[in-house]
Amino acid sequence: MIVAERVTDAARSFIQRIRISRAAWLRVAVAAILLITLPFVFRLDGHAHANWLQFLGRFHPALLHLPIGLIVLLPALEILGARRPALREAADFVLRAALALALPTLALGYMLAYGAGDTGVTVARHMWGAIALCICLLLCLLARPAWAMREQAHVYPALLVATLLALVWTGHEGGSITHGSDYLTRYMPGPLRVLFPSTSPSGAAVDSFYSQQIHPIFESKCVACHGASTEKAGLRLDSYGNLMRGGKDGAVIVPGKPETSMLLARVTLPPGDRHFMPAEGRTPLTSDEVSALRAWIRSGATPTATSIPGIKAATQSTEPPPQPVGDYGQLMPEIVGMQRGVNAKLVPVSAKASDGLILRTADVASSFGDAQLAAFQKFAPYIVEADLARTAITDASFDTLKTFTHLRALHLEGTAMTGANLGKLSSLKQLTYLNLSGTRVSAQSVAPLKNMPNLRHLYLFNTPAQPDNATARSNP
Amino acid sequence: MKQHPLCTDCEPELDITHLPIPNGLKREWATVESRRRFLGRSGKVLGWAALASLFGESALHGRTAFADAQSPVTSPGRNNIELPHFAPKAKRAIYLFMSGGPPQLDMLDYKPNLASQFNKDMPDSVRGNQQLTGMTAGQSRFPIAPSHWGFKQYGQTGTWVSDLLPNTAKMVDDLTIVKSTNTDAINHEPAIMFINTGNMNPGKPCLGSWLAYGLGSMNDNLPTFIVLQTKTNPKENNQPVSSRLWSSGFLSSEYAGVGLRSGGDPVLYLANPDGIDSDVRRKMLDAVEAINRQTLAEVGDPETNARIAQYEMAFRMQTSVPELTDLSKEPQSTWDLYGPDAKQPGTFAYNCLMARRMAERDVRFVQVYKRGWDVHGDVVGVLPLLCQETDRACYALVTDLKRRGLLDDTLVIWAGEFGRTVYSQGGLTRDNYGRDHHPRCFTTWMVGGGVRPGITYGETDDYSYNVVKDPVHVRNFNATILACLGIDHNRLTYEFQGLDQRLTGPQPAYVVKDLLA
Repeated sequence: MIVAERVTDAARSFIQRIRISRAAWLRVAVAAILLITLPFVFRLDGHAHANWLQFLGRFHPALLHLPIGLIVLLPALEILGARRPALREAADFVLRAALALALPTLALGYMLAYGAGDTGVTVARHMWGAIALCICLLLCLLARPAWAMREQAHVYPALLVATLLALVWTGHEGGSITHGSDYLTRYMPGPLRVLFPSTSPSGAAVDSFYSQQIHPIFESKCVACHGASTEKAGLRLDSYGNLMRGGKDGAVIVPGKPETSMLLARVTLPPGDRHFMPAEGRTPLTSDEVSALRAWIRSGATPTATSIPGIKAATQSTEPPPQPVGDYGQLMPEIVGMQRGVNAKLVPVSAKASDGLILRTADVASSFGDAQLAAFQKFAPYIVEADLARTAITDASFDTLKTFTHLRALHLEGTAMTGANLGKLSSLKQLTYLNLSGTRVSAQSVAPLKNMPNLRHLYLFNTPAQPDNATARSNP
Repeated sequence: MKQHPLCTDCEPELDITHLPIPNGLKREWATVESRRRFLGRSGKVLGWAALASLFGESALHGRTAFADAQSPVTSPGRNNIELPHFAPKAKRAIYLFMSGGPPQLDMLDYKPNLASQFNKDMPDSVRGNQQLTGMTAGQSRFPIAPSHWGFKQYGQTGTWVSDLLPNTAKMVDDLTIVKSTNTDAINHEPAIMFINTGNMNPGKPCLGSWLAYGLGSMNDNLPTFIVLQTKTNPKENNQPVSSRLWSSGFLSSEYAGVGLRSGGDPVLYLANPDGIDSDVRRKMLDAVEAINRQTLAEVGDPETNARIAQYEMAFRMQTSVPELTDLSKEPQSTWDLYGPDAKQPGTFAYNCLMARRMAERDVRFVQVYKRGWDVHGDVVGVLPLLCQETDRACYALVTDLKRRGLLDDTLVIWAGEFGRTVYSQGGLTRDNYGRDHHPRCFTTWMVGGGVRPGITYGETDDYSYNVVKDPVHVRNFNATILACLGIDHNRLTYEFQGLDQRLTGPQPAYVVKDLLA
């Protein structure tokens, strides 16, 4: 009580000192009360209202930058006015103009939210910020004359600072509505990022297909309207839980059934359709995004699965990048000479020498044995692919092959290999492809290959290691 | 100019002042081309000619002629091109060519909305200014013929596939389906020339010849480019295919496709006649080669070189082809996969099996032609036959390549020369309909080295008439195939008729990157 009395006394003495007419006070008070009660009279209930409201409301973004500019200009004029009094005279006009523009901007913004049925935390914050801003401006208008006549030194500057703070806050919240809440932090450099820990899509494993592929789609294309800030149609796509909960028209994802999932239907409508999403001319989903979404829904729309068949995740590269081979320039005459005769050939992978060489034996396969392969040992570090299919080489050649340090693909199909020394290949760190189809390798002779992490394509068709009718093991 | 005694035409004397060229040029000529200048220029020409003769052959033809002199068996022009331009994903390709134009609406381009529009007229706005063939241009109306067959979704990708293709349906997760392929021509011959050679007029090299020229052979015992024709089924409407389609055009004829016969001996007269053994044959070929070399030295026609190479190839094929076509060592799993048709030479299944065997033996490019897709009428009667002949074999080929580890570096392409219309040609009944040629969209698929598995690219409108998203013109389709094989289509060129000729023609073409793995 004592505090309240003291504040009232201070206000009364303040009013008397700066001699503001009662009528002016009354006008400001009525305007402030009107502004504060506005959200309670026209409640933002999530339902769209008259179209003309939205039509006018959409001029809000066009208008709002004018009062912002004027408000930011205001302190500059006041400060510089200490030197050049003419500027301080202008400040009065600018303040009035700012208020005259801020009020209609607020009205238009309210029409936009009310007309479109926007709800959400950010919309509410933006609205209250704007109301506070307008009240601050009204008070500035009241307090300024006393300050200008040097009767009161602190009230107007304090109000001006409050106005600017309200402006920054309101502007930021407004930006979050249009661009998404992570607009500023998304491309923030790493060191700054620790200050703003980003929220991971709750309810999903971090390395899951949902987190890696699906959530980023919603994050960039959908949450501006269907997120924490704005919840159009009561739908939020900012977390797995909210996504599966759906909106006011029910679930938008039916696990396993892309054709009945409303979300997928809406993003795949023809772009001109009035139900097409993303609405209002925002960037549509790309065909890759749609197919990722469809495959994810088809596979059960789980938050945990890490890979979905048929979809190649762009971010994860499955194959290690090929390492360039050394310079084999001085061996070139020999390589070219070989290409002339009737024997095995070394041919470049491509016009780029560092892509390495391929050893080809297709036309001399039957006469190509261990001794012939051994003759290629001096080219060993430059050979990236060896096609020894249906040649006469035997298990003894593994000693030669293990020196082919850059070998990425090895064809041994149709040879007499039993695979006894297959383990020697484990020194070939770059080997990704090994074809042993039609050889006599057994299950235990290929066992050592399991320790080769890069060996992604192993073919054992028609061998004792794999019965005739089963399909090849290939883990792409 | 003196007139030839047998010529009856009165030929006016050639004079620059009478030629139809602008007067300004004539005046310039008269002032510039003085006798003094003419004689002066002639002197310089003689000087250059003398200098060139001092440098010899190499100055006239660059390194090529020199290299050819060293090893005449290798092809002219191949030694100085550095290919592949970049590390290829696929080393070889198998092209399953569905000649006649498969009806995409009944196979892979599912249009569920059409069922309710049976026998309604197709809106004129959809048809636009599309030229029609003479076969339907006179029709008073264009009644919509929905597909007679149901479609279901298959695989993890949920791709819609017609009930006619139960086997293709099993591999949709591996396929790269392009629904938006489109071409410029509406009749068979220009369209089939266009997709094969990049030009509607005959005379340009086909895709296989460009590959043989650009990438060379991987197995000297077999042709680099082999064509397999499928025996025709008399119940189908078989449009002719001719060797123009696998011609090497202006490239040396050793890059032309070698057609294996669909019945009897795959290559005629390949076996030595009675009483001639291999040594005698070798001696004869050596003698022929000596004579040919003499001719080459005298006349200098590069085709002589090609002929020498072809004799040598034929000699080597005497042993390699019987081994290639001997199916007795194929395991039972092969027959289980391809089905009983594969045992009959000339069937599509047999050709697919042969294509796999050729891929194993590193034949660079195999093109299998299947005719009969020209379903102008009786779609309901004929299309099931076509699909029975091809569906299982296509699946078998892809599966077989996959399990043998060959699909990693082999590109398989399935395509026809164009698509077919949504409206019926001739009478439309509840039980039957026909479909006319349609160039604006057709469906193709690829699988294997270089392409991205499990995607469907491009979209057509509700009538499968126009492409509405991601069109793939035949030029770009071919550029993409070349890219899978490590070739930049803009850089694989051959100078002819004053142009740097290329498979994709003079108009700009681009690689469809979204199709690549």
